[in-house]
Amino acid sequence: MELTPMIQVQDLHFAYKKHKVLKGIDFDLHKGEVISLLGPNGCGKSTLIRLVLKLLDAEDKIKIQGRSLQEYSHKEIASHIAYIPQYHNVPFNYSVLEMVVMGRISKLGFFASPSKKDYEIASLALERIGISELKERPFGQLSGGQKQLVLLARAIAQEVNVFIMDEPVNGLDYGNQIRLLELINSLAGEGYTFLKTTHYPDHALLVSSRVVVMHEGKIIANGTPEEVIHSEMIENVYGIKAEIITHDTHKRCVPLFR
Amino acid sequence: MQAKEGRYIVGGVLLLSLFALFSLLWGQYPITLETFGAYIKYLLFDTPVDKTYNIELIHNIIAEIRLPRILLAILIGAALATSGAVFQAMFVNPLVSPGILGVLGGASFGAACGMLLSENWFIVQIMAFVFGFVAVGFAVFVGSMVTNSRSTVMLVLGGVISGSLFTALLSIVKYVADPYSTLPAIVYWLMGSLSMAQLDEVLLVGIPIVLSIAGMIFMSKYFDLLSLGDEEAKALGVNVKLIRIVAIILATLASSLAVVMAGIIGWVGLIIPHIIRMAIGPSHKLLIPLSAIVGGAFLLAADAVSRLALSVEIPIGILTSLIGIPIFIVVLKNARAAWN
Repeated sequence: MELTPMIQVQDLHFAYKKHKVLKGIDFDLHKGEVISLLGPNGCGKSTLIRLVLKLLDAEDKIKIQGRSLQEYSHKEIASHIAYIPQYHNVPFNYSVLEMVVMGRISKLGFFASPSKKDYEIASLALERIGISELKERPFGQLSGGQKQLVLLARAIAQEVNVFIMDEPVNGLDYGNQIRLLELINSLAGEGYTFLKTTHYPDHALLVSSRVVVMHEGKIIANGTPEEVIHSEMIENVYGIKAEIITHDTHKRCVPLFR
Repeated sequence: MQAKEGRYIVGGVLLLSLFALFSLLWGQYPITLETFGAYIKYLLFDTPVDKTYNIELIHNIIAEIRLPRILLAILIGAALATSGAVFQAMFVNPLVSPGILGVLGGASFGAACGMLLSENWFIVQIMAFVFGFVAVGFAVFVGSMVTNSRSTVMLVLGGVISGSLFTALLSIVKYVADPYSTLPAIVYWLMGSLSMAQLDEVLLVGIPIVLSIAGMIFMSKYFDLLSLGDEEAKALGVNVKLIRIVAIILATLASSLAVVMAGIIGWVGLIIPHIIRMAIGPSHKLLIPLSAIVGGAFLLAADAVSRLALSVEIPIGILTSLIGIPIFIVVLKNARAAWN
């Protein structure tokens, strides 16, 4: 590869106390990719994401744009990568606009407060996501789907290229799940890079340029969605039967009862 | 957005000034506005004063007695309310106040020890201040003994342990204190009072209090992010550890200096931030500076009541509790709007 990867992970091991979670992960993310991290509960997906964001201390095995992660401050990481957590409750009822402006913190000087321009950028981000009308609403009163969109708008206001999402559709209703996937797809079309974990092989087929499958702390498959997602892999990783069918030109993963 | 913030700050300052003027003129020896005007003219331009005004007496009352007390009330109210708001943001907990890390317990123990060991008031203050910090240090130490757990919860737990420890130690001091002299002194001091105010002392303590409040105001944008949780704040680019340490030091400094000067004055640090949050929302950019202003105004008003309500002075700590509790009950009823 000529280009330096945005994120490069080489032979990464990690353990919580004595419990080994990651057992030698090699993986990289290039600009413009949409990677779905697939795998059962406890396979180490979330741990990997948190290590890449330096939320956990790791050995010196991760590089961002060719430079060791350990040399980065949180502020510097935040100027390359935005993290979109699962939607959650916030103890204080900030307005939606206030939540989105928080995405600007890494752009501000130590003592500076957000300027008019930062509020404008936040408003534009809300517009891009299509939720301008929520601007003045208290974040706590929104539905789960709306909260997730606000967190996505905050990442856009952060003005970075790489978005890391932890199970973005978790807890959303069926319609909102699909709308969020569509939105990710359209943002990817604009050149944003995504690394997202998911529990749904079907969603990985719908929205990814590459799928990485993790199982018991190792990467067992890494390739295009069509290459990676097949009945044997599903059976192997999840222990259930599933069939991959083609609808129009799109592949779909359909689970089967025994 | 910014214009609105400016208006709230100006409004708060006006309210505070009004209260200050009232406190300056009203008292056992009331001073009319007219007399006050003449006094100001005399101070500024050295204008000769009508003999009917007893300028010596007026100067004495205003400069020696009322002004230091007013400044002290504002400083302490501001210190307690600001550090309360900061502690609430950092521990993401509505019931947190400057007492949470054991500051008040530690400082009380220190002061009581000081009174037991020495007649010198300066030593008492130093002891209160030192033990305020020792208590926080102990709380942080207990909190960090258990690794790999959520730091905030452990820190609050450490604070509860530290507070209980120093309260127990305080009881020992009270038990061994001379019941005819030292014990009453300790008890009165713990009730809180602004009557010790002397101008030079107020100015001396005022500088670090003002500096730490200013520091907390400058940091206010980070408190919004800290309240999202440590991980999210880090991912958004905040140096969580640094902000947390600096904020704890500043809030501890401000609140233990408040204890040093006036004993235990409860509830200010708890209710003022709640009231402001209910009135204008939770964003700390406005909450922190307004807490300082409104906290100052509140304690000034409480002090006026404590001096004027009865012919004897009611200890202000008792009064803030009596005023604070009903307000807090009302606040709790409406708290769901501001807290999820």
